[in-house]
Amino acid sequence: MESGLDTSAVGSAISLRMARGRRIPAAFISRRPARGITMTAYIIKRILRSIITLFLIITAVFFLLRLMPIEGYFNNYEKMSPTQVRVGLANLGLNKPVHIQLFTFLKGILGGDLGVSNRYRVKYPIIRLIASKMPLSVEIGIMAVCLGLTAGVPLGILMARSARGRGRFKLWDKFGTAIVVLVEAIPASVYYLFIQIYGTELINKFIPLPMLFDESKAITWALPVFSLSLGTMAWCAMWIRRYMADESTKDYVMLARAKGVPPSVIFRRHIFRNAFVPVVQGLPSMLLLTLVGSLYVESRYSIPGMGGLLVDVIKRQDNTVVQALVLVYSAVSILGLLLGDIAMALLDPRIRLAGKGETR
Amino acid sequence: MKKFKKAADNISEYASRGYEALSDDELFSSAEYRPEALEHLSNAGYSYWRSSLRIYLKNRTAMFFLCLIAITLFFTFIQPYLQNQKDPVRIYNDASGIQIRNRQPDSEFVFGTNAIGQDLWSRTWSGTRTSLFIGFTVACVEAFIGVFIGILWGYTRKLDFFFTEIYNIFDNIPQTLVLILISYVLRPSLKTIIFALCLTGWLTTARYIRNQVLIIRDRDYNLASRCLGTPARLIILRNLLPFLVSVITMRMAMAIPYAISNEVFVTYIGLGLPLNIPSLGNLIVSGIDKMMEPNLRYQLIFPTIVLSVVTVSFYIIGNAFADASDPKNHVV
Amino acid sequence: MKKVLSLVLCGVMLFGFAAGCGSSNNNGVPQDSAQAQGDTGTPADTGASSEAAPQETPADAAGDGVFRMLYSSEYTSLNYLVVVNTYELKAAANTIDGLTEYDEYGVALPALAESWSSNADNTVWTFKIRQGVKWVDKNGKETADVTAQDWADAAKYVNDAHNDSALQYMYSGIVKNAEEYYEQTANILDAENAVTDGTSESVEAYYAENDIDPSTFITFEDVGVKALDESTLEYTMAVPIPYFISVLSYASYLPVYGPFLEEQGDYFGIDNESLLYCGAYLMSDYEPNVKHIFKANPLYWDKGKVYIQEYQHIYNADESTLAPAMFQRGEIDEAFIGADILDNWFTNPETKDLVRGNMPVIAYSYFYAFNFEPRFDAQYEPDNWIKAVNNENFRQALMYGLDRVKALTVQDPYNPGSLMNNTITPATFAVGAGKDFTQYDALKPFSNGNNFDEAKAAEFRDKAKTELTAAGASFPVKILMPFNPSTTNWDKECQVVEQQLESLLGMDFIDIIVEAGPSTGFLGEVRRTGKYAFMKCNWGADYADPQTWAEPFGNGNSYNFMYTDESKVLAEQPVTNKSEETQAVVTEYYAKADAAKAQTADIAARYAAFAEAEAFLIQHAIIVPFSVDTDGYTATLRDPFSGMFAPYGLSPFRYKGVKLLEKPMSNEAFEAAYAEWRAAWTQAQSAQQ
Repeated sequence: MESGLDTSAVGSAISLRMARGRRIPAAFISRRPARGITMTAYIIKRILRSIITLFLIITAVFFLLRLMPIEGYFNNYEKMSPTQVRVGLANLGLNKPVHIQLFTFLKGILGGDLGVSNRYRVKYPIIRLIASKMPLSVEIGIMAVCLGLTAGVPLGILMARSARGRGRFKLWDKFGTAIVVLVEAIPASVYYLFIQIYGTELINKFIPLPMLFDESKAITWALPVFSLSLGTMAWCAMWIRRYMADESTKDYVMLARAKGVPPSVIFRRHIFRNAFVPVVQGLPSMLLLTLVGSLYVESRYSIPGMGGLLVDVIKRQDNTVVQALVLVYSAVSILGLLLGDIAMALLDPRIRLAGKGETR
Repeated sequence: MKKFKKAADNISEYASRGYEALSDDELFSSAEYRPEALEHLSNAGYSYWRSSLRIYLKNRTAMFFLCLIAITLFFTFIQPYLQNQKDPVRIYNDASGIQIRNRQPDSEFVFGTNAIGQDLWSRTWSGTRTSLFIGFTVACVEAFIGVFIGILWGYTRKLDFFFTEIYNIFDNIPQTLVLILISYVLRPSLKTIIFALCLTGWLTTARYIRNQVLIIRDRDYNLASRCLGTPARLIILRNLLPFLVSVITMRMAMAIPYAISNEVFVTYIGLGLPLNIPSLGNLIVSGIDKMMEPNLRYQLIFPTIVLSVVTVSFYIIGNAFADASDPKNHVV
Repeated sequence: MKKVLSLVLCGVMLFGFAAGCGSSNNNGVPQDSAQAQGDTGTPADTGASSEAAPQETPADAAGDGVFRMLYSSEYTSLNYLVVVNTYELKAAANTIDGLTEYDEYGVALPALAESWSSNADNTVWTFKIRQGVKWVDKNGKETADVTAQDWADAAKYVNDAHNDSALQYMYSGIVKNAEEYYEQTANILDAENAVTDGTSESVEAYYAENDIDPSTFITFEDVGVKALDESTLEYTMAVPIPYFISVLSYASYLPVYGPFLEEQGDYFGIDNESLLYCGAYLMSDYEPNVKHIFKANPLYWDKGKVYIQEYQHIYNADESTLAPAMFQRGEIDEAFIGADILDNWFTNPETKDLVRGNMPVIAYSYFYAFNFEPRFDAQYEPDNWIKAVNNENFRQALMYGLDRVKALTVQDPYNPGSLMNNTITPATFAVGAGKDFTQYDALKPFSNGNNFDEAKAAEFRDKAKTELTAAGASFPVKILMPFNPSTTNWDKECQVVEQQLESLLGMDFIDIIVEAGPSTGFLGEVRRTGKYAFMKCNWGADYADPQTWAEPFGNGNSYNFMYTDESKVLAEQPVTNKSEETQAVVTEYYAKADAAKAQTADIAARYAAFAEAEAFLIQHAIIVPFSVDTDGYTATLRDPFSGMFAPYGLSPFRYKGVKLLEKPMSNEAFEAAYAEWRAAWTQAQSAQQ
């Protein structure tokens, strides 16, 4: 996933956008073929660049938030005296010049301190807040990714095989495409809701299934995980199919076939391996983005995870938490991209990071 | 990239035939610049556009969706001028002056009415108009800025480092974050949404364009053009842009559904358009609330269908067009 | 293990999904695969549920005294001395008792105060604190005794600016020296901040720079809250406050155990362990964004009145969508039924007896305000609006033309008239000398009718048209009507009002422009800066006296800027846009209001004077009364007439005294019972006086 906060919420949009051409790692468009740059040097460079990005994001968000009307910091602004407003702002640390506030915040980050929440949960340390929410999102997210992969990869293979196979109707391809298109086209907010309503109704006929998530009841994990996995599944299937179809007409495949290499070997050793590369590239992002949770699914099922937390704190104008979350979110997506590029380089020897210019 | 090999071959062919007839003097004296020679084409019988179109027409699924979207678009725009159409923001009252709330679809209200008695049929189409407007505007802005920056970035060597570094930094910013923050800080309106969506989208377009430009820039014929003293402006306009059309169109086709689904997302988190401007986003979001009532589900289903049709159509058309415009697939 | 199982289940479902799509693609029989999906799900679950067996709760919980409902806003803090959101104060209302409480008809009853008395001019109030009440922790273990000192400690905390309590405003102007003490601690805080920031050398230097004289500082001893002994508490007022008992029902006057507060410091109320309880319930579980469980306090002083032994709040961000369905499935015992789906519930034979209305919420009054000092964009023609708004006939035309019942249909499609409010002060809010405030002579003509009158509106319109044409106004008059897009249903209501007024008065007369304001900081950006022409505003009551409803119209108000004090400035322009006619009306109103405020001895005269002032405002169509607030419709097992009633304060949130029904009350039954209740209310209120 390119740079979504919410694998499911914007997942469909992202995969649409990626439908043509895999993401080109930053290194591929580096200015000049810098010979002899090792992987380590490349990674260090990328990390330094990421730090600049993070700093820019934080600063921009910092100033953006300070543009908001101060009314938003108080629940009963209507009935407050000027002194009360003044005191309130002072207690939120908002009476100081912005650059000093920014400096204090950055200093805190370096010391590993994200500060305390001011409005979302008054005086609660943000680290503890995140620590209490993240594990569940990750658990659910990773289960969904695994499920999506186990279903999506075979589906993609079936689709690709049927697409170039002799079958007159290419049933698997059509069926797979239908699923992919449906998942892509219907807004996630709508089909998640359908799954929740009909899913609970259906399962309820056989075993009692509450509508909301309950960590201690295994059965309540099923629907959220299932819902979340659909996006990954469609994404995987689409990519595998596309790349396998592309690879199978390549010259080297023709050559292998002409040489008499058995089709199953061509398929396994050549086509599949090459087609799997973009999936691997997306994998780190996918896994890391589970840290952020899913807004739709978590709010539907009352899962106390990270999903929706950012929107929540933005609306409550809890600046300290917004800053901390923006930092976490950006770091996660940047790291995901970096790891994806590295994973791809490891898997595909033709790709040399920071190597010679264009591949496409 | 073998995409333009064919065209390049033609040119070198032309060149090689010419050498034989020329004397050494002529060969090594500088040629004069003749604007009319630019217009001269020699590739017999091959038209890029005709070939693209032919391939596209062969793709029956894509043709189907093209027709579908054409009909949808056409209908969306003429709908207000048809007879007996209702006003999308008007609240309809029955004979006793009470709002016609939550009327099931019938012959008078084709898609039924919503909770305050507005006609969902006209709201759906009006919403589609709004959403398509957002989509098209964003796509155009993205394409314009993207192409402009992309060409500058690819063509001007001096700017390459600068733009690449900028890109590497900004590409990492999560788009959703930008979208949420901008929608929150600014007042909810059409302008805000369009602005927020345009803010980051052009970056990717620019990169695509830049890559293409980099590939084509130093092709033999461009080199030749430059040697002949063709101004950079003309090289860009005549030699580069036509090759970029397919990339640009494809990116635009993808940007539209992307913008529409983002509008739904922003509305879902409560930062979207106000309700007095119907859009697919706020129709769907207000429909979601009614999902729990089986006989009110029509309020969600109709806008969702329209949205899905639009999204799928653009998605498939964009892909098919990208395939068709790839010269690799052109059989001469 | 459980997770593995659920993963298996997911896999099965995914397969089922694929198969389902496949089969519906091929032969259109999705039913079969659905069946298969369910069947294969069963064995996976038997393993799971045997492990999870202890947690399984039966669907019907009414029998075992557990009351469950959803909530969608998480508490920001449990520190009840600081928070101010209604939903947060609900926790405080149930876990901490105040000095007084109310019965089901709004008559004040002794709670932690056994009795009270005041001196002749209502400036000193003395309370006798109940003995033997305990502070307990979240497990119900006794920690300390509740004494009079606990109220003094709470007041000290709330009035100290360091603690940034949002509840302080309920002390200012009421308890002697409270405001002064707060201002002074605010100065101290500023000085301390200046020192830490390095902008001042020392606290003393800061005082010198800012002309603050520390020798004038008072101590908390000077504030009018005193524990005379363990069981005697005395409040001294800043001015005579006859309605002080109603003030006590706010969270600002809840007790706190001082030594514990000090021990917890900044972490007081951060979770359910950093709190002590003395109310009917204690918070036994607090899992943010999951659930809150409140259990009956085993050491409660009045256990006989606690009928619900446990109540649970279960978190869901999409409460409004899911709650109705969950109620029908028996997963929760109370659900709000939004206006959108209400018709459906009433027409469906299965649900029509499950849902009922609620008593109107009279703590809030809504009214449409005319802006006399427009500061909006030139495109909406502020100058033309000034001409129009200063014309009384124009205002009357809008007032008589506004069909409030129709507009309120958006909020309550079933019984919109019940929300209508014909005066600023809602009916059944305050009773003076045995008579409801709205039934005093001056207000009577308004309160017993509906202002909507098409003929009258047309008449006023014609008059206004002639006069305004003469004054050089242009038609149609543009009326900017902003709304906050994040307020539920306001957008819809604006559309209804726009269409109704325009079609009644004519598009050639007025042109209402409905515009979305910002969803954050709406009031500051729109109302307080005068960027509207005609807009719905609201005001919440602070205490049981009609004076509270006169506050939004005072000098320097941020509502309609009707005051004529030329020293006041709005958006850098003096407020001088009122015509002489308007000025005369406003001056007369202020004279009436001041006279009413001065009247503190004779309740009947005070009420009559306030009624006259309010009637005067409506008569001249300075404001257009609109509605009271509503809790909408609910499907619930709660008996609406058990528990406490009070139009203000914490008592309405208390579960003490609330009884559960076997099945939900139907709307018809509710309406009938409500009529009875109103009669009983009037009787109880009159008997009290």
